[in-house]
Order: sequence, then C-alpha cells, then structure tokens
Amino acid sequence: MRARDGLLELEATDMELSLRTTVPASVEGEGAIVVPARLLGDVVRLLPASEVTIAHRSEDGVASIDSGSYSGRLNVFAAEDFPRLPAIDVPLHDIESASLLDTVQRVARAASRDESRPVLTGILVRFEGSRLTMAATDSYRMAVKETELPSAGPELEAIIPARALDELGRIAAGNETVQLGVSENHVIFGAGDAWLTTRRIDGQFPNVAQLKPETFDVELELNRGEILEVVRRAAVMAQRNTPLRLRFSEGELTISAQSQDVGETRESLAVAYAGEALEIGFNAEFLREGLESVTSDAVQLKLINPLRPGLLSSEGDAFWYLIMPIRLAG
Amino acid sequence: MRLVVARCEVTYTGRLTAYLPEAIRLLVFKADGSVLVHADSGGYKPLNWMTPPTVIEDGEDVIVVRKRAGRTEDRLEIRIAELLAELEHELGEDAGLEKDGVERHLQEALAEQPHVLEDGLRLVRREWPTDVGPVDLMCRDADDGWVAVEIKRVGTIEAVEQLSRYLEVLRRDPALAECRGILAASEVKPQARTLCEARGLAWAEADLALIRGAREPELTLFEA
Repeated sequence: MRARDGLLELEATDMELSLRTTVPASVEGEGAIVVPARLLGDVVRLLPASEVTIAHRSEDGVASIDSGSYSGRLNVFAAEDFPRLPAIDVPLHDIESASLLDTVQRVARAASRDESRPVLTGILVRFEGSRLTMAATDSYRMAVKETELPSAGPELEAIIPARALDELGRIAAGNETVQLGVSENHVIFGAGDAWLTTRRIDGQFPNVAQLKPETFDVELELNRGEILEVVRRAAVMAQRNTPLRLRFSEGELTISAQSQDVGETRESLAVAYAGEALEIGFNAEFLREGLESVTSDAVQLKLINPLRPGLLSSEGDAFWYLIMPIRLAG
Repeated sequence: MRLVVARCEVTYTGRLTAYLPEAIRLLVFKADGSVLVHADSGGYKPLNWMTPPTVIEDGEDVIVVRKRAGRTEDRLEIRIAELLAELEHELGEDAGLEKDGVERHLQEALAEQPHVLEDGLRLVRREWPTDVGPVDLMCRDADDGWVAVEIKRVGTIEAVEQLSRYLEVLRRDPALAECRGILAASEVKPQARTLCEARGLAWAEADLALIRGAREPELTLFEA
C-alpha cells in the first residue's frame, strides 16, 4: 500500500500474477507499507463505516485501522522487501471486454489444475488480426473457441495461466474494453483502474488442430437443456470418478451411472440415433462442463467409437469441446 | 536388552542441564548403547535419552551413562532409590522393518518392469548396498548409465533427502560418479517434485495396478 498524491496505490503479487489498482484517498503524509493481504481484506470487508483511516508511523511495525467504532492494529512489513512488479511500459491495445471474457469463460474449465504439467495449466491465446483463438486442455478434454473481435488485437501467441484469465474475469466485468499489452515474459491487462500482470508459461502447447479428428461415425443433434439436465442428475451417482454410461440404441439414449456401495441411476431420452447399439463412458464432470460450455439450444455430439474422442459443438458457433472416453468394464 | 523399573532421579548434564525428580520410571538399556528413561505418561517419547555410542557405568545405587560430544561430555546420572524390577533378555538379530504392502509390491513390480519409469531402464540389482542403507533398485539406462531408484508409497521431501544421501555415497565410487537418481512413488508430493528438479533428480509416479496390467491406462487426447 503506497499513499501519495491523493491516492492509495495497492499492489499484490504471488510472483506469477500481480494486481495493482488505486483508490482515492486523503493522504496526510506519503509512505508505503506491506500488509498481509487476506487479513486486511477480511478486516476491511467487515468494517462498519464507509470510511477508514489507516495510519502508520515509519518507526513503527504496525498500522492502525480506524473506522467508525472499530479500532484495530495490524503488524506490517517494510515496503522495500516487496518485489518490484513488471513495468507497464509496452504498447497497449483495446480489446472488447465482453468478447474476451466470454472466450475465456468458454475454455477455462478445460485447463489442468495439475501443477506438474505447467503448460496445461495455461490457456493458449492467439490473436491473428481481429480473430482471437483460445484453447485449453488437461489431456482428457480440450476446449477451443474462436472469436471475431470488432478490431484487431496485437500479434500474440502465448500460454497464459488459466487462473490469471479467471482473475481477469473478476476485475474486467462491467468494463467495455480491456487494455492488453505484451512483453517478452509477461502479458498485461488493464481494466478501469486495475492492472493485472501475468507471467507467460514457457513450453509447447499440444497441437490443437491435429487432435481434432477429421471424421466421425456418429453425428447427432441433441437438445442441450434436456441432456444437460439428465447428465447433471446422473452425475450425482457417478462418484469416485466412476463413468457415466451413454448407451445409444435405435431412437434412444440411456444415461446411467453406478457407484459401488452408493447406488445407481438410469434415465432415457429420445434421440435420432440409428444403427448398431453403442455404449461409451465419459467422466461426468467433464461431460457436464462441455455441455455447459455450449451456449446454443442444440448441441452436436459426434462420436467414433468407445475408445476415441467425442466432440461437442454447436451450429454457427466457433466452439468445440473434445472429450476422451473412459474405458467401460464389462 | 535390559529393562529396569526403579524409583529414581535422573540428572542430565551436557549441552544443557535437566533434572527429573525422584519417581518410578522405566529405564531401557539397549544392546546398541541407547538408553531411554520412560514415564507411564507423556506418549511414546522418553523423558530423557542418550544415543549410542555410550559408556554405561553401573554403581551400587547409581548408573552413569556417558557419551563424548565433541570436546565435552554428555552425562546421564540415574540415582536409584528403590529397584522394583529388572529384566535382561537377548533379542537376537533385528528382522528389520517390513515395508508396507504397497511399497513392497511397487518395488517388486518396478524391479520386473523398470522401463515403465524410463524407456530403456533395466535392473541390475535390488537392494544395492551402501554405507547409508540399501538402494531399492540399481539400474542401467539406455546409454548404460547408472540409475539409483528410490521407491516410496508417497514421495515426500524426506524421500528426496534419502535418495540424495544414497547418491552422495554412490558417487564417491568413480565407476558410479555419474549415477542419476529417480524417486518413484504412487504419488509424488509437489514439494518433493520441486526439490527433485532443483537437485537434478528425476521423479516418476507409478501406478501399481497399471504396471501389473490389472488396469488399462486412462485414455487421453495426447501423451501428457
């Protein structure tokens, strides 16, 4: 926290991503301190009055916080020990916020949370002229969204941590545009008074185009709302990673799940399926998230066989979600 | 192994001074020179102890345990007020701690198929002896380089330290100077992964069911 020129500047970082913003303040003397972020946040959120006075004397290791009837003291650290955040000294491009955030939101859930494979915890972000492409994968599924922007963005292909883009969704919501700057190691986003800087992830992202099968043996159009409801209900019984079983037979899709010592579920819906019966297993959560990421009323489901990836997409929307099956026993 | 139950007071002098006032206690004198003073409460840890090598002097109503600690001497003086029971028994050779099932089975499975850890890896010997304990698997890689494999159920920082100790000792032998290390476990903790990478060691998660062929590998879009 740095107080100067009628502003309180706030900076926070976990060394991978950093946030900075300013709030108007009545500053009596310039100075900077480092405070435990979560603790300060918890205190401030619960303060009774609309104004808060934070005072710190340079010789003290504490800051006093007063607001209405509340009075508290918080141990602080020296500002010199705080890491220097990356400079915002690169050309900035205005990107339409809604398109950017929608693209993030459509793919982010497919990113991996396994830190042992850093590349997969990121989202591949590619700007080519006015076309923005994002892709994320955890090796079990892959979500890809192409978005046409009103204006061209910077020339960029970078793997950006998914959690940084998730954070961007919070700080940029309600802003019409997001400013985007790219440096060799970092990507910078600006929204209103807030700046988010994130480290780029080094490494080779899987070849997106190559992973999408060119042909499928089964192509079905399903009512998204209907199948999503069935999947959500069936998922309750698909515990401890037991698969959802999708059995396609003449005119019917039966979705079932069975968890030992827990119970089982079975539900059918009418679909335009013709041909030999086919049974395929999917991770319930991955299938649900794929269906949720499709935004149209109708969802295209394409399959090859129970051991090859299935594809979810929708007509007229440059989005696809590839999902790997789970082997079914018996 | 000598066990003594006695009303006694215990004075420790050495790096610090500690005094246990007179009370009934269990005194354990192990054949390896360890001495432990136990009370009937306070958990499994002794109230006072001395690690080997020690010198034990048995007096009429006092037992003195001495140990050199650098230039100084650690000294445990046990003054016996009343001897209540005494038992001495030869325990024989220690059978060693049996590794838990998963770890043992994982070692057996990886000994049979070390290549699941790394392409081209082949077993030279199980339980390769070193001065600081046996290395679980000693292997050669595809280029004939030596590879020490430490196997755990859960790979922790302690396991990395253990593997590092083995490697330090192994590499003193010029023939094994380039020996690499792999920590293999059903699950390798993130801190252990980081420490492995910082020390130039490899780590690998090994699924016992998968190695045994009891379960087929998960289907993925690409090899991650």
